[in-house]
Amino acid sequence: MFELFANIFLLVFLVYAYFTHVLEAAVSKSYMKNPSNLMPDVWPKVIIALLVICIVINIIKIFRKNKGNPKFTFKAFYQGSLAFFKSKTFLGILILVIASLILEPLGFIVTSFFILFCYGLLLGEKKIWRLLLISVGVSFLLHIIFSGLLDVTLPRGTVGFLRDFALMLENLF
Amino acid sequence: MFASGLSAVFGGGNFLMVLLAIVLGTIFGALPGVSATMAVALGLTFTYTMAPVPAIVFLVAIYCSSITGGSITAILFKIPGVPSSAPTTFDGYPMAKNGQAGKAIGVALFCSAVGGLFSAIVMFVLSKPLSAAALAFSQGDLFAVTFLGLSILSVLDMDHILTTIMSGLLGLLLACIGQDPIAGVKRLTFGNRQLLAGIEMIPVLIGLFAVTEVLKQTSSDKRLSAEDGISKGRVNTKMPSFKEMWAIKWVMLRCSIVGTVIGILPGAGATIASFSCYAMENKLSRYPEKFGTGIIDGIAASETANNAATGGAMVPLLTLGIPGGNAAAVMMSALALKGVQMGPLLLTKQPEFLSATFISMVVTNILMVVIAIGIAKVFAQILSIPYSYLGPIIVMLALIGSYSEGGFVGVQIMVIAGVLGIVVKYMHLNSAAIILGLVLGTMCEEHFSRAYVMNQANVFKVLFGTPISAVVISACILMLLSPALRPLVKKLRRQK
Repeated sequence: MFELFANIFLLVFLVYAYFTHVLEAAVSKSYMKNPSNLMPDVWPKVIIALLVICIVINIIKIFRKNKGNPKFTFKAFYQGSLAFFKSKTFLGILILVIASLILEPLGFIVTSFFILFCYGLLLGEKKIWRLLLISVGVSFLLHIIFSGLLDVTLPRGTVGFLRDFALMLENLF
Repeated sequence: MFASGLSAVFGGGNFLMVLLAIVLGTIFGALPGVSATMAVALGLTFTYTMAPVPAIVFLVAIYCSSITGGSITAILFKIPGVPSSAPTTFDGYPMAKNGQAGKAIGVALFCSAVGGLFSAIVMFVLSKPLSAAALAFSQGDLFAVTFLGLSILSVLDMDHILTTIMSGLLGLLLACIGQDPIAGVKRLTFGNRQLLAGIEMIPVLIGLFAVTEVLKQTSSDKRLSAEDGISKGRVNTKMPSFKEMWAIKWVMLRCSIVGTVIGILPGAGATIASFSCYAMENKLSRYPEKFGTGIIDGIAASETANNAATGGAMVPLLTLGIPGGNAAAVMMSALALKGVQMGPLLLTKQPEFLSATFISMVVTNILMVVIAIGIAKVFAQILSIPYSYLGPIIVMLALIGSYSEGGFVGVQIMVIAGVLGIVVKYMHLNSAAIILGLVLGTMCEEHFSRAYVMNQANVFKVLFGTPISAVVISACILMLLSPALRPLVKKLRRQK
């Protein structure tokens, strides 16, 4: 059922995009003057059209494949969705989303510690103190390797003292 | 001519610098987010005090070894260190999961060396005629070659051909986001200014491959752990046997040739080479159904081709002053900083550049096998770390790689791509096909648009206007239709 809903959602989204967002600005007059120029909306519109055809065929295939399948019901879909929101995968996604949001204000070190510690717990690590120490150690090690040795700029954070701390670390190496 | 090249590589302290370049290049290549171009750019700092010839020797060594280094993490963690190693994950990672990490790495390194050496020799012997031939390629021909890379869609997952094509089209659509390559008009950004520059490939690649894998392992009972790559605390580095390598001799030869030719084409490069050769070998194989399950042929195709492309990319750089790809462009800027005038006269007036590059490539490709095995052992030891530590570390490496390529937006794209990878699994779509579409989308559109203008809006002429494009496009159409044609052919045979 999830596959069916996802396909329908994609279909609706593509139709909406086709009519509203393929071209979001006017094409310059000088470009329009040459009739041989390929208009910027042609390529994405062709792709969307092909995709829509494929999705429609796929939806028909899904219906055919699941004809008479007792699990192909709204109830089963609802139960499956509930189970997903209680799963470790969903918690993992949640950790990643939070990390991507705190990266800019809190910077690399704090985000790294957050991911290493929380994901470690999620993956079943029982020795909390060891996990805590390793999370701190690995965060600093990654910062030293990438920022200090490889010159890869890592986010310092916008919070004052965290930014100062990151700058101090960068100056150390 | 050889003597000057040999002295450039072995003279003074240059050989030590080449060794350092191989170590650095392999490590840079293995680290996600540090692409071959970035590896060469990082290597620039070492060349400031060098003379032009040792500088190019050093940078070529970094370039070649970084392409090879990308295969190590592709095999061990399903994180392609460089985009051209993405097809290596298809068979390399399943082999690592089956306890054959050592063999997979051995095949990757050996094939990389074969591809690199082949292209070095081709570069040395055929530099001038090959670049003249490449220059004769029309925009239509370039579109045809890029489209050839897309034809892999028909073989990536033969059991789900419709959803694989859907995935490829989704990738092509993702590549349309941002400003269009010719007119600069914004498309499909949904008002988000950060999407104006388009979707960065690396965060999507890392998200779909690495992050999705960690998310899958999170709720999996059996995780990638010590027993997969390591036995009794020691790394399982059992190398492939001579018999096994001999069995893939034709794979290596074909992919060396195709990889070198694709490398020579401006704008193509190692990524298209590896995807195209993987598709080609899948088509030519007697056991195509085994591709993607963990066979050495798949690794050989991808790794031979991407390293063969390195030699190819040097051809237009040295003979015409045209960089074949981004890494070559960085090398060109390094030489320009030293006052070297790139162009057709370079090889006539200073032939030592060609011989030094040739010797450097030969030495690098031979030494790289030994050095990279040592580095791979260190990387493979990481597999002995419990997954509750390894999983989050992989996520952190993915985050760093995405941030270095696309900033905060890159990280957000990586997370979205990671979640998309889970959705993709439930929808029976194909992550590799999405990546393929994304990698080739912009190039395909760009070449097509230019060819369209040049052929006065005649699509037939774009596709079949020259013998090269006619042959390549016909081959692509046959490849794309082959899943539909195969049952018909079988039916006809049975009737006979």
